[in-house]
Amino acid sequence: MYLDPVLMIALPLFAAFLIPPLARISKGLVKYVPVLIIGFNLYEMVMLLPHSMVKPVIVVIAAWAPPLGINLTIGPLGNILALIISLVGFVVAIYNIRFMEEEPNEKYHMLFLLLTAGATGMVLTGDIFNMFVFLEITSISSYALTAFLRDRDGAEAAFKYLLIGSLASTFILLGIALIYATTGTLNMAQIAVRIKDVDPRIAIMALILLVTGFGIEAEMFPLNGWAPDAYSQAPTPIGAAFGGIVVKAGVYALARLVYTIFDFQGIFHFILIAGIITLLIAEMSAIRQKQLKRMLAFSSIGQMGLVLIALGLATTRGVEGGLFQMFNHAMIKPLLFLSAGYLVFYSGSKNIEDMDGMGRVKPLLSFFFAFGAFAILGLPPLSGFWSKFIILSETIRNGFIAIAALALFGSIIEAVYYLRVVGRLYFKAPHEGLHVQYVPKSALVAMGILAIITLIAGLYPDFVMVYLKPAAAELLDKTVYIKSVLMAGL
Amino acid sequence: MRKAIAVLFLGFIGYYLLSTFLLVPFGVVRVLEGVGLKYLQDGLQQTGAANLVTSIVVNYRGFDTLGEVTVLFLAATGMGALLYSKRPTERARQNASIIVKTGARILFPLIIILGAYVFIHGHLTPGGGFQGGAIIASGFLLMFMSYRTYHVNHVILSRVESSAGSVFVIIGLLGLAYGSSFLANILPLGTVNTLFSAGVIPLIYVAVGFKVGAELTALLDTMLQTVK
Repeated sequence: MYLDPVLMIALPLFAAFLIPPLARISKGLVKYVPVLIIGFNLYEMVMLLPHSMVKPVIVVIAAWAPPLGINLTIGPLGNILALIISLVGFVVAIYNIRFMEEEPNEKYHMLFLLLTAGATGMVLTGDIFNMFVFLEITSISSYALTAFLRDRDGAEAAFKYLLIGSLASTFILLGIALIYATTGTLNMAQIAVRIKDVDPRIAIMALILLVTGFGIEAEMFPLNGWAPDAYSQAPTPIGAAFGGIVVKAGVYALARLVYTIFDFQGIFHFILIAGIITLLIAEMSAIRQKQLKRMLAFSSIGQMGLVLIALGLATTRGVEGGLFQMFNHAMIKPLLFLSAGYLVFYSGSKNIEDMDGMGRVKPLLSFFFAFGAFAILGLPPLSGFWSKFIILSETIRNGFIAIAALALFGSIIEAVYYLRVVGRLYFKAPHEGLHVQYVPKSALVAMGILAIITLIAGLYPDFVMVYLKPAAAELLDKTVYIKSVLMAGL
Repeated sequence: MRKAIAVLFLGFIGYYLLSTFLLVPFGVVRVLEGVGLKYLQDGLQQTGAANLVTSIVVNYRGFDTLGEVTVLFLAATGMGALLYSKRPTERARQNASIIVKTGARILFPLIIILGAYVFIHGHLTPGGGFQGGAIIASGFLLMFMSYRTYHVNHVILSRVESSAGSVFVIIGLLGLAYGSSFLANILPLGTVNTLFSAGVIPLIYVAVGFKVGAELTALLDTMLQTVK
């Protein structure tokens, strides 16, 4: 039994508007608002899953059927990604309960709630301009949250992100303008039908503008210069949210563009090559990092490179592997960030070499980090193994042996730098004079949820794959998507 | 050398963009295809708003407008969070001359009335909530500039902001409860070209007007507090 899916966007906005008066009544209540609202979203997405798997759920807004009005189109892909976003948002919201306690904390929770709502809107909407509006909501809250600690480095990272992000918005807006000028519609399904009749020179320009714009959010090389700084300077839960929420929405937009809206076969090779370059450069940068969170940031970019490779293959199994990799990354990277946040806090230093011996001082925290590290570098039977295995074997099956070899090389580099950190955690003597306190229970619960999901996804990958298969099918065969939207307009 | 390459690169991108945009015929009526035509033909009957732009912004694409309102809210909140300080710095700007001060005092109420007029008549004449709100904020800016000690009450502004935003969502939710979908019109359309027409459009635009006015005013005040 699910309520109208539009509530998943309406309620977070409503709650965000009401947080300032609530904060004046009771400061303590505000931090539970995101948990409650995103928890509702999570419930909705789980309840919708059986329906959207059968056929896309079309939600009309303002009583105007598509293409006249805006609509939400919740197919398997949108549903899965919104589920992932809500899940990560929910877990990070739990972590946030004891994380941000100083002023102006009500603004922190409000911005975080809107970040999640914006990303949810991006993956659910069926209208390209509406997607742009939600992208703006997501990215503006990201800029503010990056600089939230009001220190010099945070401000620099946020300003860099703001400049690149604004460039992305401009490109996307120009691309949408070209599309609207030539097709006369903003509904994604109808654009997909009409794009054939558009002058190819204009269509290619629109595609370039949109891929560049969304590529910035999806951390595609060479557009990812903002990511390492933003990830490492933002408050820890926000770094986790970037990896689990913002990037996922960006990759979704990219996939929707190249698979559903446009019809250029050449773009897939471009994405494949962009993916392998992204992967290699990110992994080689990661191994040279001295700071733990910066290393995780580069690793996150590398993981997205792998997802891009999978999407560039444009085969059923490849896309399935890519989606599985996105799922794994969305669960594991926040786990790594959230545990690394407390490791950094207790060691009093951001540097990897100061993490020595934390495994003895903080066993549970270090276990979560080590577990996440093993899962992400693909140690069987943990979940990262299955997605990497599918992507690599599919790359080889399609004849891109060189790319598979390079990706494997990237994975080896990844193993080296993750194991180096894990080794330091467990096999070195701890530094003197650590002021270790208890990790708040809410933070442990948050990490525990992610670790359990990772474990289950690793032991029973088919349980996840059952839901990813229809999502991959939605991307590869766009007729179902188009038909279900346009039928709703009749 | 690097600068020269950068300029060349930008020039190349600019040329390519321009040449593509020139492929789209300029000045030719292209609304005859696509959704534009439907808005033109049926907009008046379907929404009851004499100002067709408003009926698209607030009714057909009202969901976007809710998003845009949130974007502005976010920008204001983010700015407030980043410029947050426990004790605001005292403004050390000079007082304006007596001419400016007197002029501002006379103009201020008129500017507020103009702003209110623009957003209340958003469904009839050009303008709307965003424009009206911006006009109101400009009135406050004039007062900030003229009077060194002029202060606005942030608690009241924040209350206006929150309640106006909530009204927008509540109107949407009422549409869901009593109509067919979120933001659906639930009020009678009335006679075209009268103040009480176009269903929920004027209500939404009044809320947007209050919200934008309060937000921009608060933003200006926050920014002015940080400059010495």
